[in-house]
Amino acid sequence: MKFSVSKEKLLAGLQTVQNVVSTRTTLPILSNVLLQAENGQLRLTTTDLDVGVSGSVDALIERPGSTTLPARRLATIVRELPAAEIQIDVDSKNVAAIRCGQSFFKILGLPEEEFPPLPKFEDAKTFAISQQALRDALKKTSYAISTDETRYVLNGILFSFKENKLTLVATDGRRLALVDLEVEFPRSQEVELIVPSKCVTELSRILGDAGDIKMSVGENQVAFQAGETLLISKLIEGNYPNYRQVIPGEAKERVALEREQFLNAVHRVSLLSSDKSNSVKLVFTKNNIEIAANTPDVGEAKETLPVAYKGREFSIAFNPEFLMAPLRALSNDEVYLDLIDEMSPGVIKIQSPFLYVLMPMRIS
Amino acid sequence: MDKTLPTEDLPEIWAEIASAMRTEVSPYTFDRWFKEIELVELTPQHLTLRAPNNIYQFWIESNYIHLLQSAILLVLRSPRTVKFALCEKPHEARSAAVHPEPIEKEKAEEKQEKETETESAGATTTLGMNSRNTFEAFVVGPTNQFAQAACKAVADAPAKTYNPLFIYGGVGLGKTHLMHAIGQHINGKKKGSKIVYITSETFTNEFIDAIQNNTLIKFRKKYRQADVLLIDDIQFLADKGRTQEEFFHTFNALFDGRKQIVLSSDRPPSEIASLETRLVSRFEWGLTAELQVPDTETRVAILRKKAEGMSIKLLPEVFQFLAERIRTNVRRLEGALTRVASYASLNEGRSPNVEKLEQLLKDILHEEARRSITIDQIQRRVAEHYDVRLADMTSKRRPQNIAFPRQIAMYLARELTKTSLSEIGNAFGGRDHGTVLHAHRLVKEKILKDDKTRHAVSLLDSQLSR
Repeated sequence: MKFSVSKEKLLAGLQTVQNVVSTRTTLPILSNVLLQAENGQLRLTTTDLDVGVSGSVDALIERPGSTTLPARRLATIVRELPAAEIQIDVDSKNVAAIRCGQSFFKILGLPEEEFPPLPKFEDAKTFAISQQALRDALKKTSYAISTDETRYVLNGILFSFKENKLTLVATDGRRLALVDLEVEFPRSQEVELIVPSKCVTELSRILGDAGDIKMSVGENQVAFQAGETLLISKLIEGNYPNYRQVIPGEAKERVALEREQFLNAVHRVSLLSSDKSNSVKLVFTKNNIEIAANTPDVGEAKETLPVAYKGREFSIAFNPEFLMAPLRALSNDEVYLDLIDEMSPGVIKIQSPFLYVLMPMRIS
Repeated sequence: MDKTLPTEDLPEIWAEIASAMRTEVSPYTFDRWFKEIELVELTPQHLTLRAPNNIYQFWIESNYIHLLQSAILLVLRSPRTVKFALCEKPHEARSAAVHPEPIEKEKAEEKQEKETETESAGATTTLGMNSRNTFEAFVVGPTNQFAQAACKAVADAPAKTYNPLFIYGGVGLGKTHLMHAIGQHINGKKKGSKIVYITSETFTNEFIDAIQNNTLIKFRKKYRQADVLLIDDIQFLADKGRTQEEFFHTFNALFDGRKQIVLSSDRPPSEIASLETRLVSRFEWGLTAELQVPDTETRVAILRKKAEGMSIKLLPEVFQFLAERIRTNVRRLEGALTRVASYASLNEGRSPNVEKLEQLLKDILHEEARRSITIDQIQRRVAEHYDVRLADMTSKRRPQNIAFPRQIAMYLARELTKTSLSEIGNAFGGRDHGTVLHAHRLVKEKILKDDKTRHAVSLLDSQLSR
């Protein structure tokens, strides 16, 4: 095959797919990118057998064909080439000659047949979701995904399609983030699936600002199609826990907080929380919160924030990282912190359908 | 063997644990997470909770496991690992609530069988203790009361009271007896506790074997999974750097896992030469109990108890004689008693009289007398023998006619007493240990070469030891 393509386009295409490339070298073909040239398009595909990504760019095809080349090496070369047309000529032995201006590279590839084909989707349930809304929803939930591999069902985000709503849930057992999105679909399409963490990362990368993404849910896999880019992933098998159990009932106290101000204050105070007792204490008094942390033998930090608070005086401690994570992911100016008592979970809410349940730490 | 507790008690046990939890968590938390939990299995190692679905497991494991474990500790008096059995479909589980019992029981029985198997297989390896060494057989007197009480407390509640427990005392005062008693008491009370009793020498040997055969993992598994680790004669770990290091890690693993550790030695931890300080500090972490030489009354009581065990009858003055003459060592006391008993049985059960005893136990009594020789006695005796003044023994003057007897006295002091070189030096007018060592070497050489010296030393020795 032989084609020429502009450096920017090829680089953009490679960057879309190269994150999936497996760093494990057990199967050499998995570190290669599949290149298919036909009909004025160059299609690039990578997979690690769990997640696969495919994208395409416009190219001038002189001789159609396909091959696989080492993805990271190709990307490094292309990145360093001068901004100009790149011509790639691959012979029947999968040796690629790359020419650009005065530069010439020859790299060895592997035959296309060795590349594992991406799965086909038949009788899948399909949904159309606003790209922007989904990207925003992933941002608000993905930080709460568990990395504990023994609880593999929690190593992803739950996508629950029910009653014209898509609910995304992530939890690691100490906190839980949840977002509801309005999505139109017939009743027959109600389904629940757990999308693995790696797929969530790739999905966030391909989601743009405009238009819808097409999501197809198969037996044990899922595909997302945005424009020319296709992302296919295996699903996590198993039952996602009944997350509703975690969400506390009616709150006793509600505090409205200025998100950025609160985030910065917690961040500053957390500088003096220790690894061992990793907590910051929030002390609520009339129209005031005091945020405090201390580490024995090191020192302590305190910061007070004026707030509209008329409830009873009490204090509660949280893990500062867990408290800051949603505050960073949200973009609203104002967030609400709902509390029951010292030992019951706190809930962060905003005006739109989002909630974050956070377990308190014991105050010693 | 009652490995698994009867199922009918489980709701009550859970109710107790739950009420302990209730005081620790908010009512909201309790209602939400603990109301639906049932206790379905309880073994000495773990307990299994049945929860409606996996969110209970995830949430309880992440947030309440420490509270739950302390509640379990409070109720059951020993820690257990918490397992979860899930009934994923709550409606089914509820409707079937009348029937599932047999299945559960079957499961429990299966588990029970498995565990009985593993236990009987482990029974021979875990013990290795003398069955006669029990708390009942241990005679308590004022000098060992504290150590005995500490051991009893440890045996009654392993890893809760004194951990580690360090027992030390001279030879034959009952260290091993107490250790065996602890091991057997725990074993009798809680079948299935993994008790490892070992001498530090065996520990060292096994460690060396493990290094040679590359079976360190197995070695570590054996010791680090023990519920109770009893190590006898820990002083032999001195000078064994790598074994000490290995033991250090074993110690930490067990201590962190809240397992009971009991150690014995012939001297307090800080006096075990070349024992790493980190080990010393750990040994001193818990309780250190000393076993002292029992007083005469206790010795008589010990003898009576032993004689009872051998079912022989002896005259009261025999007990008195033995107890008074053999002071330092219970083992020697028992040896003497055994000898008396065998004499009695050879003479149709007649108890020997005191004169007979003196003759019968000549060598033991001689050995015993040696122990009570003081440096002062030696100095007097030697001064008398060489006709020099007692003051010359400690004076700085060193003409040959004084210096040589002084050296003889130092030699005898080193041979006949347990005193250290520097103490002997001090007793001889503040001389340093090198002087004593020099004197000892010099006299020793002279004994080999010079008949007169040999004669004098053996005469002095026999006079002193009488």
